[in-house]
Amino acid sequence: MATGNGRLIDYDALVREDAVHGDVYLRQDIFDEEMKRIYQRGWVYIGHQSEIPDPGDFKRSWLGLQPVIFSRDKAGKYHVLFNRCTHRAASICQEDWGNTTGFRCEYHGWLFRTDGELAAVPYADAYGDNFDKSRLNLRRPPRVDEYRGFVFASMSETGLSLTEHISGPAREQIDYFCDLSPEGEILVQCGATKLAYDGNWKLQMENTIDGYHPNFTHQSFFSSIERITGSKPGIFKGDSLSEVRDLGMGHTNIDTRAYNRADPAVKARLDMMQQTSWGKKYYDDLVEAHGKERAEDVLTVGGTHMNIFPNLCVLGQQVRTIRPISPDRTEVFLRPSLLKGAPDEINTMRIRQYEAFYSPHGGGIHDDVEMFNRVSEGLRCTIDPWLIFQRGLHRETVDEDGVRIGQCTDETSQRGQWRHWKTVMQEEINL
Amino acid sequence: MSALRDKVENFLYKEARLMDENRYLEWAGLYADECLYWIPCNEEDYDPAKHVSMLYADNNLLKSHALRLNEGKAFAQQPKSRMRRIVSNIEIDGDEGDEEIGVFANFTVTEIRKHEQRVHSGRSEYKLVSENGSFRIKYKKINLVSIDEAQDNVTFLL
Ligand code: FES
Ligand SMILES: [Fe+2]
Repeated sequence: MATGNGRLIDYDALVREDAVHGDVYLRQDIFDEEMKRIYQRGWVYIGHQSEIPDPGDFKRSWLGLQPVIFSRDKAGKYHVLFNRCTHRAASICQEDWGNTTGFRCEYHGWLFRTDGELAAVPYADAYGDNFDKSRLNLRRPPRVDEYRGFVFASMSETGLSLTEHISGPAREQIDYFCDLSPEGEILVQCGATKLAYDGNWKLQMENTIDGYHPNFTHQSFFSSIERITGSKPGIFKGDSLSEVRDLGMGHTNIDTRAYNRADPAVKARLDMMQQTSWGKKYYDDLVEAHGKERAEDVLTVGGTHMNIFPNLCVLGQQVRTIRPISPDRTEVFLRPSLLKGAPDEINTMRIRQYEAFYSPHGGGIHDDVEMFNRVSEGLRCTIDPWLIFQRGLHRETVDEDGVRIGQCTDETSQRGQWRHWKTVMQEEINL
Repeated sequence: MSALRDKVENFLYKEARLMDENRYLEWAGLYADECLYWIPCNEEDYDPAKHVSMLYADNNLLKSHALRLNEGKAFAQQPKSRMRRIVSNIEIDGDEGDEEIGVFANFTVTEIRKHEQRVHSGRSEYKLVSENGSFRIKYKKINLVSIDEAQDNVTFLL
């Protein structure tokens, strides 16, 4: 048991190994406690370095419900700063993104530099001789760190380092995504499509690594593919070689490596790409960068499809951020990425492929969102409050890294998220 | 009122009616074989080869889009949106007899789906080519007022 708002919440009674109680998506007190435990103590994704490439660049982001500014200072160092004037709390950054020399609070005119330093206070003499401006710099999370440009912040002074939080098997997946670039860097610089729904943030988290739903929720998308290619892909069938994996710490992925390596269509596509001059150049540059074996594997695997708990999803071409707003309201920002050093043709193709499924008029994502809304409606029926996450429990295996593996239509990935969620919610801490 | 303006208005009103009534395939038929249908995202003007769009479609993709919606398995449109839109502020760049004319028009669509009413507005830019006394759409670009907003569901025709 853990305390939340002076009231006891019995998480053992809410999360079982094979099922989850509907209250975890609905209750305000549980949401409040999630914000404290998951979003104010654990590592939370803020943004990618490439989104603010130049000195003075900034974008707005969130640490749970708290608005922050992700900014790059004059010297080129990035910062995560709370979007709150240290005088009387007005937010100091109104634009979602841009470039600036500093943040001026327009209420009483205090001026902060892009590294958060309080630079000027109007009529400062009224504060007396002992006024120490340096104590009133913008506040910041005590810990900020990154992996391959993905920047995270934690409100906890101590605890697991980011490297411990995102352990080997999860890093391996991020590496697959970034190594598609001949320079090993992705660029999150081509805009964002955005969506919102009336439902809990964890519905998006569960769905990203759900290998069971595509052949049903996305029937219309797969029909479109069938109209073009003559067949439906088998990647998400009940006998597919694809897997779902619980990477630990709530991180999870759909692992299509085995499927892709065995699929002649993937090989054919790569061979065809090399028939073009730009495709050949991309292939050659990738071999030059990573060696032939790794380059071919990276191309065959084609990135990743994963969640970094709690609010980052990396899949296909995109970097996706989940923004919880309330128990029943969520926003999701989806940002396609470019591959640094890859030919323009490759990067344009990535944008178009992204749009085909994920844009507001694309063929896929809004059918997922429709399901989130439908789940939210169904959750109002309390006669049987349990959601069943039992699929494949009996056939789960564990590898030498402790990664739990199931067939891609199994619910091994969601079980991993819920197991971690429960651990975090039950931790003995003073809130 | 000029004959050209009459013709343009009639065409835009017909397009609006087909969109309002979810007549996907007839709507797709309004487009020329060589066409571009573009809904920008985040900003109004940029190089679509370098920035994401809400939709960036040639005739093939547009047909595929229409067929997918028409099949009845696109669950974000099950049930379908019920809509009526007003098209106005029409500006015409061209003259009677021109092979191709430019048109600008504002629209506001009132949409209800699952008992929730939403309003979406924007400005469309067209390039229309003459065909059999009417037009086909060679180019349509839609700048939504909500170009940079998190939207719940805009999967109907625009
Ligand atoms: S609140 Fe910012 S200067 Fe007063
Ligand atoms: Fe999906």
